[in-house]
Amino acid sequence: MANTSGMFLSVIGGAALVLGTAYGWTSRNYRASELDVLTDRLAQLERSNADLAAKADETSALEARLSELETELAAALQAAEDAKQAAMQPVAAVADPVLQPEPDPVIADATGLEFGDPSRGEQVFAQCRSCHQIGQGAEDRIGPHLNGIFGRRAGVHDGFRYSDDMAMMGADGLTWEIETLNAYLENPKALVSRTRMNFAGLKDPQERSDILAYLRQFSASPQNIPEAAPTAQAREVELSPEVLAIVGDTDYGEYLASECKTCHQQDGSDRGIPSITHWPTEDFVVAMHAYKRQIRPHPVMQMMAARLSDEEIAALAAYFAEAE
Amino acid sequence: MKLNRRAFVGTGIAAATLSAPMVHAASHGKPKVVVVGGGAGGATAARYIAKDSAGEIDVTLIEPTRSYYTCFFSNLYLGGFWDLENLSHSYGKLASDYGINVVHDWATGVDRDAKTVSLAGGGAVPYDRLILSPGIDFVEGSVPGWDLSAQNAMPHAYKGGSQTELLKTQIMAMPEGGTYVMVAPPNPYRCPPGPYERISMVAHQLKANNPTAKIIIADPKEKFSKQGLFEEGWQKHYPGMITRIGPDFGGENVTVDPAAMTVDIDGEVVKADVVNVIPAQKAGLICDAAGLTEGNWAPVDGHTMVSRLDENIHILGDATNQGDMPKSGFSANSQAKVAAMAVRGALTGSRVFPAKFSNTCWSLIATDDGVKVGAAYEPNDEKIASVSSFVSQTGEDAALRKATYEESIGWYEGITADMFG
Ligand SMILES: Cc1cc2nc3c(=O)[nH]c(=O)nc-3n(C[C@H](O)[C@H](O)[C@H](O)COP(=O)(O)OP(=O)(O)OC[C@H]3O[C@@H](n4cnc5c(N)ncnc54)[C@H](O)[C@@H]3O)c2cc1C
Repeated sequence: MANTSGMFLSVIGGAALVLGTAYGWTSRNYRASELDVLTDRLAQLERSNADLAAKADETSALEARLSELETELAAALQAAEDAKQAAMQPVAAVADPVLQPEPDPVIADATGLEFGDPSRGEQVFAQCRSCHQIGQGAEDRIGPHLNGIFGRRAGVHDGFRYSDDMAMMGADGLTWEIETLNAYLENPKALVSRTRMNFAGLKDPQERSDILAYLRQFSASPQNIPEAAPTAQAREVELSPEVLAIVGDTDYGEYLASECKTCHQQDGSDRGIPSITHWPTEDFVVAMHAYKRQIRPHPVMQMMAARLSDEEIAALAAYFAEAE
Repeated sequence: MKLNRRAFVGTGIAAATLSAPMVHAASHGKPKVVVVGGGAGGATAARYIAKDSAGEIDVTLIEPTRSYYTCFFSNLYLGGFWDLENLSHSYGKLASDYGINVVHDWATGVDRDAKTVSLAGGGAVPYDRLILSPGIDFVEGSVPGWDLSAQNAMPHAYKGGSQTELLKTQIMAMPEGGTYVMVAPPNPYRCPPGPYERISMVAHQLKANNPTAKIIIADPKEKFSKQGLFEEGWQKHYPGMITRIGPDFGGENVTVDPAAMTVDIDGEVVKADVVNVIPAQKAGLICDAAGLTEGNWAPVDGHTMVSRLDENIHILGDATNQGDMPKSGFSANSQAKVAAMAVRGALTGSRVFPAKFSNTCWSLIATDDGVKVGAAYEPNDEKIASVSSFVSQTGEDAALRKATYEESIGWYEGITADMFG
């Protein structure tokens, strides 16, 4: 209760300041009306003093609870940090199958998340490969490469165009650790609502912990990254170098793209229908040829691709790679 | 060529606040495009021309309503899957972000020699190219006993907005075990699967709230779109609720009495609680007023969607007779892009590429049970011809049907963004 009156003063001071700016405090023309307004306002504020006194009690109770919670939070964060340090230790060993062929699951943090089996994780990762590369020589494709993902700030990896939401979450402090990756993999859009990652999520906790174990192998210092890990080089369809070399006519691509945009939204929204903006041209070309040859299943896409020539596919790829 | 949005904001806001007709006559030297009708065809055409010409063309959009209520997904609103607000879209961005002069008024006529469009509010708007996308109107007398004055007692709900809302209110107010009758339209009409998706959604609503209610369809057509898929779904989800009376049993011989709320189907009089009359259709009236129709529809050349009767007027969407494309929002949107490209080419010399069209119509049969039908089209000298097509199969698994439904929601968001920015 001791600081209540001080609080009033600052509330009134604040109100005066706001009124001052809003009504042109320093302008002569407005002085008279300002005075009226302020007198009224002051009367109002005095009336609400009684209210505030009651609120102040409540506030101090809440403040006490807040500081309790802050202490708890700090403790939890420390525990998580310790657990992370512990979890990072065996990475080098895991990377060397001779030394430790079957790594024991490691309790990763206070939430009880565990790293699973990296070799099963590698199989689960197969579904990620059409967009993400990992391992020696991995590059950004439709999605960013995933070397060194653990400990990386979200949405900051250089040279990749993230969704605004992902960039913002990163700026706000989202960092990829076991808990955050686990949550993201379970339901990407629940964590980052307008992420470009067009993936429904891995609902099975075992699959998530296996894939996290697999990913973690590539997050040690670079010399420990396993050599053999295949990057996503194998293409879905074999295309001749001439087809891959066609330079798309972006003007033509813009017209052709208007047909795509009835369903695929240019701004990257992808509810029910994937985003196709900012794909690397080669991935775009490969995907369209895979539909054209009916290797990829989707009747609408097969129909659309069937009537596109190699030049038209290249034009679309060129347009969407750069579309604003 | 990319639009610099910021460059437009200034003119856009100014244009939007100017009061209607007089402004246009005083326009500067830029070529002028007037678009009548801000629906699936018109809004898309206006947006693409404004966006891609980056200020080189003056675009005026004439549309009486301030909010466009889509017909697409209105059935989902009847079924309880979609809110009314989700169907409503404003023209604000077309004005502010694309610099389109949006005039809320009716076009009452076209002077094709003077190249002006007259407005109900008075005045006339000059054009270099005119685009008409007025949708449909109803053929008078096609259902004896029904005319527009009966649309409150027996709603069509085949134009968006208040009619859809009215029909929903009537469905929700049906007495226990009541009867819903649909008088289905003859071909050609807007959205071939539309009436049957509607039946599915009404059945879904009634199954939850009024399970002993009955649905009767009086249908003049032998066959209808996605028939196998719908009939399979009705059998599965709504057994015993829906009866369809086709032409073999007199489904084409229907009269209604809106005062008595009865429907006479080939001599058999049914007393109903809701009567949804979807009459035979024709091009929006402005096409006829402009002398651009042959029979009920406006013939166009599919290479550019230009009227076969006037080389300065393009016609889009439901109002046209173009060939094989169904009358759908998807088709109108697809045709709008071809017309926009042709109009820009003619007025500013921008590149013109060969026309391609496509359409996909999704329908929802029950919760998470979505199906689709679609085709790709190309124009020849005679018509827009189908070049390939697909349709969902009976007996598909639940996961695929659910994915198809989710895809339809993506399409709705995509096409409305493509129309209104
Ligand atoms: C129940 C139902 C379900 C449907 N579902 C689907 C679906 O799932 N998918 C799909 O693709 N399509 C669907 N459709 C069809 C779709 O709504 C139409 O095909 C589409 O709206 C046609 O576009 P349009 O531009 O020709 O006409 P509209 O979209 O109807 O636009 C015409 C506009 O012109 C205005 N107008 C008319 N006359 C004048 C005038 N004289 N002056 C100024 N303005 C005028 C009107 O106010 C209106 O806004 C459905 C239709 C219905 C009824």
